[in-house]
Formats: sequence, C-alpha cells, structure tokens
Amino acid sequence: MLPIDAAAHSSRWRRRHPVDKAVLGLGLTVLAISLPPWPGAALVLVAALVLLLGPAGVGARQLWRAYRVPLGFCVTGALTLLVQIGGPDGFVTLADGGPARAGGLLLRTSAASLGVLLLAFTTPMSDLLPRLVKAGVPAPVVDVALVTYRMSFLLLDSMSRIRQAQAARLGHTTRAAAWRSLAGLGATAFVRAFDRAGRLQAGLAGRGYDGTLRVLVPDVRVSRGFVAASATLLTGLVALTLVLERFLP
Amino acid sequence: MHIAEGFLPPAHAIAWGVASAPFVVHGVRSLTREVKEHPESTLLLGASGAFTFVLSALKIPSVTGSCSHPTGTGLGAILFRPPIMTVLGTITLLFQALLLAHGGLTTLGANVFSMAIIGPWAGYAVYKLLKRYEVPLMVAVFFGAFVADLSTYCVTSVQLALAFPDPSSGFLGALGKFGGIFAVTQIPLAVSEGLLTVLVMRLLVQSSKGELTRLGVLLQSKGTRPGTRTEKSEATEDAGAPGKPAKSEASRTSETGAST
Repeated sequence: MLPIDAAAHSSRWRRRHPVDKAVLGLGLTVLAISLPPWPGAALVLVAALVLLLGPAGVGARQLWRAYRVPLGFCVTGALTLLVQIGGPDGFVTLADGGPARAGGLLLRTSAASLGVLLLAFTTPMSDLLPRLVKAGVPAPVVDVALVTYRMSFLLLDSMSRIRQAQAARLGHTTRAAAWRSLAGLGATAFVRAFDRAGRLQAGLAGRGYDGTLRVLVPDVRVSRGFVAASATLLTGLVALTLVLERFLP
Repeated sequence: MHIAEGFLPPAHAIAWGVASAPFVVHGVRSLTREVKEHPESTLLLGASGAFTFVLSALKIPSVTGSCSHPTGTGLGAILFRPPIMTVLGTITLLFQALLLAHGGLTTLGANVFSMAIIGPWAGYAVYKLLKRYEVPLMVAVFFGAFVADLSTYCVTSVQLALAFPDPSSGFLGALGKFGGIFAVTQIPLAVSEGLLTVLVMRLLVQSSKGELTRLGVLLQSKGTRPGTRTEKSEATEDAGAPGKPAKSEASRTSETGAST
C-alpha cells in the first residue's frame, strides 16, 4: 500500500464522510488559487498545516515525504520567473518583480497542495471511489477505477519483489543489465496484470458475475456540523485576507 | 512531469479542463459502451489501468545520469488505443494526484490534456504512420513512445508559458525558458522511454503473443490459434493497417476479455 493511502486508512478522520473532508480540503485548495498569494495563500497554508498536523493527526515526517514531491516541481517552476529573456540589458537578465512573482507562486502551490493532501491523508481511495457514482461519474468508469486501484497495489508489490530478485542476481550492476532488468519488469507487469484479470474474471464468473462490482462502503453520514465549521473557517480566511490586504505591504 | 497542484491560475486550470472534457467524454462513452456490451471487460480495463499506473512508477535511468519516470503514454496508446488510454490516463493521473502527490486536482485538466490526450494521440499517430510505410514494428514502437513522451512535455511547456509569459518577450520567451529546461532533461528521457518501450515490447512479443494479437498489435498468424505461442511470427502488422478494416475499440478489448 502506498504511504498516503496507508495513512488515510488509519486516519483519525477515517470514519468521516468524504464530503466532509472534500469541503474542507478542496475548499482550502480553491481558496489558495483564488485569493491573492499574500496574504491569502499564506493564511490558507498555515490553516491547512495546522489542520493536518493537529486535528487530522498526520505525522510531520509522513507529510514532509509527500509534500516535498510537489514542492520540488514548484521550486523549479518558480526559478524560471526570476529571469527574463530579451530586453535592453541583455539576452537573459533578472526579471523586474521576479522574486515577488516566484514567491507568490510558491505560496499558492504550497497552500493548494496542502489542501489536497488534507483530503488524501484522511480519505482512503476505497471510500472515495464508490461514492463518485453519486457525483455523476458513470458506474462502469468507477468500476474500472476500483479494479485499477486494487490491482495497482498487487502489481506494485510484485514489481518490488521482482526488483529485489533482479538485484540479488546482479541485475543492476551494469547499465546494460539495468536496462534488461527494467524491460523485464515492465513486461512482467503487463503479463501479470492480464493473467490476474483473467483469473479474477474466472473467479467472478463462478460467483454469478453480472458486470457490477459491488463493494461494501462504510455507512457514514455527512456531518452538518463539520461542514458548517469548514464553511465558517473558509469564510473567515477570505474575510481575514480582505482585511489584512489593506494593512500589509 | 506533472504540473503541480495550484501551479496554474484558476482561469487556465478551468480552460484546460474544458479543452480536455470532450476527449475524456468520448473515451468514457467508448468505455461505458464496451463494458455494457461485454461486462467482463471491466477487469481487463482495470488491469490495463493498473499496468499504466505501475509503468509510470518505474524509474528509468536517464542519459544524463539521473533517474526519472516514463509517462507510459506511448506504450499504452499502442496497446490499448488513444480513446481508452485517455480514460485510463485520467484515472492514473487522479490516483497519482491523491496517492503520490504528483500533479493535482486543479491541474488535472491540464495534465490530462498533455499526458492522456496529446501524448497518446501524437505517439499513436506516429506509430500508425510508420506502420503504414511498413517500417519494422520495433522502430515504429520506438518513435511512437519517443514522440508521445516528447509531445507531452512540449504541451506542458506551452501550458506553462501561457500561464507565465515572460515580462520582456512574452509567450515565446517563456516557451523558450520552460522548453529549454525541459529539453535538457526530457530529450534524453524521451530517448530512454523509447528504448525501454522497445525492450518491453520485444519481451511481450516473445511472452504474450496471444494478448498482443487480441489487442490488435500483432496480426494472427495463419493456422495459429489465438493465445498459442509460436517461435516466429509473421504477424507484426498492426490490425488497423491500410486495406484492412480497423477493429473498433470495443471489439479489440472484448476479444481480450473473451479469451482470457
């Protein structure tokens, strides 16, 4: 199981309805990209961080491991805003207002990423996917996504073991060997995926499979209190941003 | 490389979502029709999605000495065709956003446009074009994967340049900046992905001839039952080659479903 999904399964908010967490997490993300980066996105960033490390109970190390991935992309992308091409002073020069734009972009992406991570760290995919049917996603697409989700872990586990076996047989010692091993890994993933699908199909056919994959979804209700508190927090962040905008540089 | 969460301004994020929507809807309709006609296809399509997800998690050594992940769009488009790949790619991108923190939900439309639409279609078009001129299968596979990878990053550069035009030279200057950064890393990676795809396809031709035949990548050898393994195959023509009616998405996948 992947670290974020494993954390979601043992999250304090695991038993909350996904709508509760989507309102809060995605609400923060929407605010992060809609409000001015300073102070709007900065406030969203702080709020998301407090919620993640506090009430949601996400470990700081777990969060950093997940967070550094988008952060790397953001930093690389933001660096390009520091320079400009062409102009009277030379072909490549420092851009006017570049640091401010790069800083704003970093704030916005960081805050937006934390909003989505709040949802991801508290809501397992197995809770989210079956409910997408109610959101209007066609059932066959959700079924395919469910099979993809469940089979991905098995395949990733197989790939990990095959990689270990390849390493034990000196399959990664030279560049040529590494390429051969990698190709073998990709081909084995294909063969195993289709073999597993075939066996699943045979097993389900024996149980009267009619094309519908029924899964048990925890019976939880949307909490009006939680949604109202989330809406209050989001509204408060907007109001605070508008107020602070007048006083801060 | 995925565009990270919140990287695009809201108007751009919405615009790329709108641009991707018709392709995704088309893919979803194809997939829904297929599953309704052949319920057993759900499992095979799910397996294909899992394969795409796992493929994108492989680390490939780059010529520059670093490691990166293949997009997998070229191989996916050749195996499963672009419309289905659009849906599988969208599911994969959603999983990557929520399970790996790669990409994002607000940038899902932009990432789908580059990785699940342009990449597969461009790669598949090159693959088909080369097959039309009877270029050897592995050469067509290499260039299909190479173009799919490179076109994905070209589109990503365009998306970023549109969102962040250069203060002095505008869109073109920004395209040069983002394209220049990607070119250093992505051209070697596109070559690497092309080579990897060829190696994977070579192994698949040896080990999974039946599946490739059912998917329409290989033609069925005369006198050979689907699924049986043969030492040599004259069947390296694409099923949709000129002069032969191209199979529909549904029939291709249903054959796969019926036979496994």
